[in-house]
Amino acid sequence: MTSQYIALPKGVSEKNFDAAIRDFRKVLGDAAVLTSAEQLAPYIKTMMPVSDADHTPSAALLATTVEQIQKIVAICNQYKVPVWMISTGKNLGYGSAAPAERGQVVLDLKRMNRILEVDKDLAFALVEPGVTYQQLYDYIKEHKLGLWLSMPAPSAIAGPVGNTLDRGVGYTPYGEHFLFACGMEVVLANGEVLRTGMGSVPNSNTWQVFKWGYGPYLDGIFTQSNYGIVTKFGFWLMPEPPAFKPFVIQYQHEEDIVEIVETIRPLRISGVIPNAVVIAHALYEAPVKAKRSDYVSGPGSIPDEAVYRIMKDHKLGIWNVYAALYGTQEQIDVNWNIVTQAFTQSGKAKIMTEQEAGDDPAFAYRAKLMRGEMTLTEFSLYNWRGGGGSMWFAPVSQARGSETLKQMALTKQILAKYGLDYSGEFIVGMRDMHHIVDVLYDKTDPEQTKAAYQCFEELLTEFSARGYGTYRVNTAFMDKVAETYGPVQRNVHKILKKALDPNGILAPGKSGIR
Amino acid sequence: MEKTKLKNWLFGFMFTVILATSNAWSAQDEKNNPGFAWKDGAEIYAKICAYCHEAQVGPQIRNRDLPAAYIRAVVRNGNRAMPAFRPSEIDDESLVKLADFISKKEAQH
Repeated sequence: MTSQYIALPKGVSEKNFDAAIRDFRKVLGDAAVLTSAEQLAPYIKTMMPVSDADHTPSAALLATTVEQIQKIVAICNQYKVPVWMISTGKNLGYGSAAPAERGQVVLDLKRMNRILEVDKDLAFALVEPGVTYQQLYDYIKEHKLGLWLSMPAPSAIAGPVGNTLDRGVGYTPYGEHFLFACGMEVVLANGEVLRTGMGSVPNSNTWQVFKWGYGPYLDGIFTQSNYGIVTKFGFWLMPEPPAFKPFVIQYQHEEDIVEIVETIRPLRISGVIPNAVVIAHALYEAPVKAKRSDYVSGPGSIPDEAVYRIMKDHKLGIWNVYAALYGTQEQIDVNWNIVTQAFTQSGKAKIMTEQEAGDDPAFAYRAKLMRGEMTLTEFSLYNWRGGGGSMWFAPVSQARGSETLKQMALTKQILAKYGLDYSGEFIVGMRDMHHIVDVLYDKTDPEQTKAAYQCFEELLTEFSARGYGTYRVNTAFMDKVAETYGPVQRNVHKILKKALDPNGILAPGKSGIR
Repeated sequence: MEKTKLKNWLFGFMFTVILATSNAWSAQDEKNNPGFAWKDGAEIYAKICAYCHEAQVGPQIRNRDLPAAYIRAVVRNGNRAMPAFRPSEIDDESLVKLADFISKKEAQH
């Protein structure tokens, strides 16, 4: 007998699934329960080097209210049907909108797109999961609120809830997004609605201004996890500064990253440079200006000699440090002196401001990201190899020069073994760096796709063998990364899962938790 | 008597104000705020497509006589590096308007 569904949840009979779908339709209406291949097509495409069949959903549910979600979890518990929650559902290079496991029902919260509150004085927002950065940006402009967003590079089409819940980062002084989260509403697997922190106090007006509430701080367990469905999310916004000065500092040799990091760290920890600085390799910036095919053809990774030609032709450093100063003009002048003094000491750095580099397309999009303006220019990366293959390799590094050089060299060496290029950058926290490498490959080429998979696996294995952990990963490698954090943490995650979601209906497999 | 009435009224009024200004977002609030909806094809193009297709990231797609059905199919399925867009992001009705906007010559708008 042919199934009327394109996939079924693991261990659920078609008869039971039918009954669940019937009940979902009663709650949401027919139009908001998608089951046909055509309707589910946009939930299937990923950039990962695995078969789409491994991540094909059985259905998608378009919920719009908390009450609906409470009813949905009741149905899921009854029929043991697992849901995979998405908000704006982009998560490109991390799994897109597809579920972790074949047959899971996507609970698509994109239509929950209400901006519930933006407070100009206290500079916070409370939004639903489907709100995009573009929507919030337009709202702030329209109401002249004088607040800035911090967002990841897929800005306009992504949103603050999904990005922060997956502990993503941006490029302004508020770039470590979860640091600026304040208060969540979460529908639990048993249907109860929890408001974290001060949100649990009836009639409290401090939900979005004081994070900790009373007792154990719970917000963290709802990030990168599957312990609840976040339906409202509060976070802090940056007041628009009177002045903003973006700049780029270029270096010509890969080993110079040691000097760069040693110079930046004290400036970053002391707050002279307040934002999440980026140290981007030439191959991360090159796609904005150059075509790979103009410099190299055939299989294999790009040779250093070609990279140097690209740098020369397109005015790039091998390292391009993008940072900015924020504040009054007087504050910026003082800090600019400190920055230039620090970077000019060795004579290796080329420092440029908007005056010298304002027309450069790489500088222009980086400046936008550092002031919370919408841009999707970073997607130029996807043109580098073409074919729509991308995975973010994201190990964490100390903000120490020798460490960043070691990580870069190891990454480059493993990528080259599989014929792939090092398109990497370091995003500077205060004491850490997110080492972000786009493992780009042509997904239409089966050989390259296979190589990309093996390469990614080796990167994770070799990095963890040296004590380097990964902070975020695509849905094909979540178990592998969870394994690198050891059995005790995995067990604690599992105990929490059993306690909060005994039937395992919420996103089984997320971060390796079942 | 009058004073008591006024007091009661004031209490009731204040209670309502407290409820209305607190962060206790309720199902009623959700119903009163319909959320975001696209105005027209031009808006969707400007807020999504143009960031790539007018920025030399993706190819030019306007003024190329691309059939509306083809545009709709690419939006829903994606194409190589281009992500797919779900009906929860661009509803079917808005997608028709978007495809229409892209496929018509600029002078026709």
